[in-house]
Amino acid sequence: MTIKHHAYLFDATRCIDCRACMISCSVENKIEMDKTRIWVAGIGIKGEYPDLQRGTMVYHCMHCLHPDCMSACPVRAYTQAEDGPVTYNPDLCIGCRYCMNACPFGVPHFDYDKGLAEGAFIDKCTFCPQRIYNDQKPACVGTCPTDALEYGEREELIKRAHERIAAHPDKYIDHVYGEFENGGTSYLILSHIPFSELGLPNLPETPVNAVSEKVMALTIPFALGWGAVLSGVAAGVAMHEKKKQAAAEKDIVPAGESEASK
Amino acid sequence: MATISRRDFLKMGGAAAAALAAGQLVSAPVARAAREAGYLNAQGDGEIPTLCEMCVWRCGLLAKVRDGKIVKLDGNPEQPHSKGKLCPRGQAGLATTYDPDRVLTPLIRVGKRGEGKFRQASWEEAIDIVAWNMLEIKQKYGPEAMIFSSTHNLSQVQFENILQAYGSPNYGTQRSLCFNAMIVANQMTYGMEEPARSYAGVKYILLTGRNLAEAISNSETGELIDAIGNGAKMVYIDPRFTKTAGKADEWIPIRPGTDLAFHLALLNIIISEELYNKDFVSKYTTGFDELAASIGEYTPEWAAEITGVKAETIRRVAKEFTDAAPNALAHNGWRTSNFVNSFQTQRAITILNALVGNWGVTMFPKGGEESGGLGKPPQPPYPRTSALRMDGVPWKYPFVPLKLGVFQELRDNILKDDPYVAHGWFISRQNPIQSIPDRKKTLQAFAKMDFIASVDVIMNDSSWFADVVLPEASYLERYDPLMPLGARAFIRQPVIEPQGDTKSALWIFKHLGERLGIGDFFQYEDEVDYLNQQLAPTGVSLDEVRARGYVEFPEGEADPYKWNTPSGKIEIKSSTLGNAGYADLPVWEEPPAPKDGEFYLLTGKDARQTQFGTQNNMLLRKYDDEPRIWMNSKSASALGLANDDLVEVTSEVGKIKVHLEVTEAIRPDCVYMTPGFGHYSMGLHTAYALGASDSDIHVTYTDPVSGSQALSQTFVTVRKA
Repeated sequence: MTIKHHAYLFDATRCIDCRACMISCSVENKIEMDKTRIWVAGIGIKGEYPDLQRGTMVYHCMHCLHPDCMSACPVRAYTQAEDGPVTYNPDLCIGCRYCMNACPFGVPHFDYDKGLAEGAFIDKCTFCPQRIYNDQKPACVGTCPTDALEYGEREELIKRAHERIAAHPDKYIDHVYGEFENGGTSYLILSHIPFSELGLPNLPETPVNAVSEKVMALTIPFALGWGAVLSGVAAGVAMHEKKKQAAAEKDIVPAGESEASK
Repeated sequence: MATISRRDFLKMGGAAAAALAAGQLVSAPVARAAREAGYLNAQGDGEIPTLCEMCVWRCGLLAKVRDGKIVKLDGNPEQPHSKGKLCPRGQAGLATTYDPDRVLTPLIRVGKRGEGKFRQASWEEAIDIVAWNMLEIKQKYGPEAMIFSSTHNLSQVQFENILQAYGSPNYGTQRSLCFNAMIVANQMTYGMEEPARSYAGVKYILLTGRNLAEAISNSETGELIDAIGNGAKMVYIDPRFTKTAGKADEWIPIRPGTDLAFHLALLNIIISEELYNKDFVSKYTTGFDELAASIGEYTPEWAAEITGVKAETIRRVAKEFTDAAPNALAHNGWRTSNFVNSFQTQRAITILNALVGNWGVTMFPKGGEESGGLGKPPQPPYPRTSALRMDGVPWKYPFVPLKLGVFQELRDNILKDDPYVAHGWFISRQNPIQSIPDRKKTLQAFAKMDFIASVDVIMNDSSWFADVVLPEASYLERYDPLMPLGARAFIRQPVIEPQGDTKSALWIFKHLGERLGIGDFFQYEDEVDYLNQQLAPTGVSLDEVRARGYVEFPEGEADPYKWNTPSGKIEIKSSTLGNAGYADLPVWEEPPAPKDGEFYLLTGKDARQTQFGTQNNMLLRKYDDEPRIWMNSKSASALGLANDDLVEVTSEVGKIKVHLEVTEAIRPDCVYMTPGFGHYSMGLHTAYALGASDSDIHVTYTDPVSGSQALSQTFVTVRKA
């Protein structure tokens, strides 16, 4: 029996930028009010009045078939399930943030509020295992009022995407982003505007990590030690940055700096 | 690659009062009723079908309860308004129920009005005070001295019982600030409030200001996107490049107030070039010949001058629309109260549809919300009310249905004591301080009242200025009367117990009615008894309906080709209008235009907000845009204004300060703001003082036929604050 490979299909021609997916994810996964696992990207409004164009894309973790986050992780905090979802284990994470640098889509986000104290460094989409293994669609997909987001088996969605392009070649760019990019992703994208304008990187079909993994295999022991040192430094810097940022937003000088700055 | 960055999120987090996870807002009481009914397992877990109330579309919900708390809302696949999906407002509904700003006990004002000082009270005391004041007003000045106002909801039938049994003719609803023009035009032409629309098989869609991608009607929005995906052509007419415009094949940035000229020219072409459906027109309509005789002057060239749309574009749209017919649909729009000529615009759109014979293909008859399949508690006839309505219905506005009213005129006449003095105001589920144009006047009207009571879920502005606040249970905590929809009626039922000491509207109106001595109009023991009496004719038990979410009953077979008009046909020429001395065929009416240096003030919708009551929802705030005023980049640079500048916007009635959003997506002669922001109530910790209120600067103008407030007929100047 072949294993179903879970995937998403996002169609930018159908997205109305209503953000129901973002709120649904936020509630389902109990995301704090100042954080999110889904973002809106795209051109916003492009052109000059009255020749205008809109185009938005919502995206979260692409659940790559060859996840760069996973190969960059020195402590195996990332795992890829046989059926697709790429998940993160906070108990193993040391906070080195290699995954953040490795991900070509900028998905893993460092949680500055928890960090070292609580051990949960990184936040990203989980693929809603509590839903997909209970006959429900992922939270973002389930609520989409226009079916701009769909969920299903990867092969089936790729087929559907190509059929849609074939039926309306005037409406789409003849390409399914994620079918081959970076060795393939589980978040597939159809669009009427160039993928680069949606903010998607132009990636080769050979996964980036096909090369890097060989190197990484030799460097894990080294990375473990060095990662710990780096993360200590990083946490310190992060704490300072956070204070500064919070202060900037409140238009006040951070405590401890007020005297020095006078 | 994100356009909403982490930094933006931190900013939004700052706007929300507290950074809480959605699931940790307020600890919820155990869902006792649901557990007793067996919908929850021993751990208190289950999925309960009910109805959304984040807007008036009323999607079906499945509320996921874990350990007695609502943890997630999903769309109910069994319900045609949701089809398993929810819009952002529906998804965020639990942040309304678990809003830390909920009013949880009855409140009696102790400070000055608007000071926000209240004391907690028992229901007995609060209802006694409301009833005592209402009875005193009735005794001293007559029942007409009491104003009643409420915005469309499922318990409105019981609210109207209070109104009519108490004996006041004065009833304010949101409709004249929204869609009176469409409703009255449909009634004149089709003899029904609003025909149903179908997008299945549609090939050409003409949307006049119907911003379905942002003013979401869940299922209809989905059907529109499906139709476009299947290759339908969509032409969108709006001075703004909205998100719907972004989905259109063609955007027509028409000059505000001239949609009527555009549509008259379409009728002209379709008639002069004989593009109409002759068979349908002769069989099912009246007055075509008179229209043909009167439409000659409205040429595309004439309309091009007025609208700023090229004559050849108008000709082409007419041709494309009729080529696609009968698989063509011209949508009236919903919030149609734009200009004093909006009623004529609406009439022209209804006639455009009739000429191409799309009836039975993209448009269908739709009944009202009353259903013959359901029962209701018995009640005596209402007492006669002899006093004139203060809003001029029907003596000044003969075509405005009593249930719609003319709210802004009611407010104006309260100020003028015309034709008599009003002394009290009873408000339910409504925020007139925010919604009626010219907010200063509404506050003056409030100040004139001897007594104001408000039934509300959170401390909206009108409750903030009330003397007594009666706290209603949220839509996830209460029963409402069943909602008929086609051959089914859907149930709204409590998913969790009401928090604090809150009660359902059914309970509140019954107990108030009893204290007012009109208990005969509320012959039900409690909410469950009310629903049982509704269900009696169906033979289906309430338990079954609660488990399933709806009851099915046989639908009456009506002849779809019989219209409830005097002629029984679609009335192109309206005999009703003609007999009353109004234009019986659509005619051009020149709307006022801004002077040099002024802008049209446009308002519209944002997919995260509904009218004037959702701005305090933290989840919606989290993912919403900052409320700013839009201005075209050319106009902004001519005025020396830059993006995010704080600007002062001035109309003849008021001034606001708000941040500027410089954009390409609007005509250079217009500015736009999302209504509903700029709340006065300090009881709204998320929404207080956020953005500015359009009602502070909106000028009151009323369409003489439909009673619609002309919401886009306000002209403003903008300068750096």
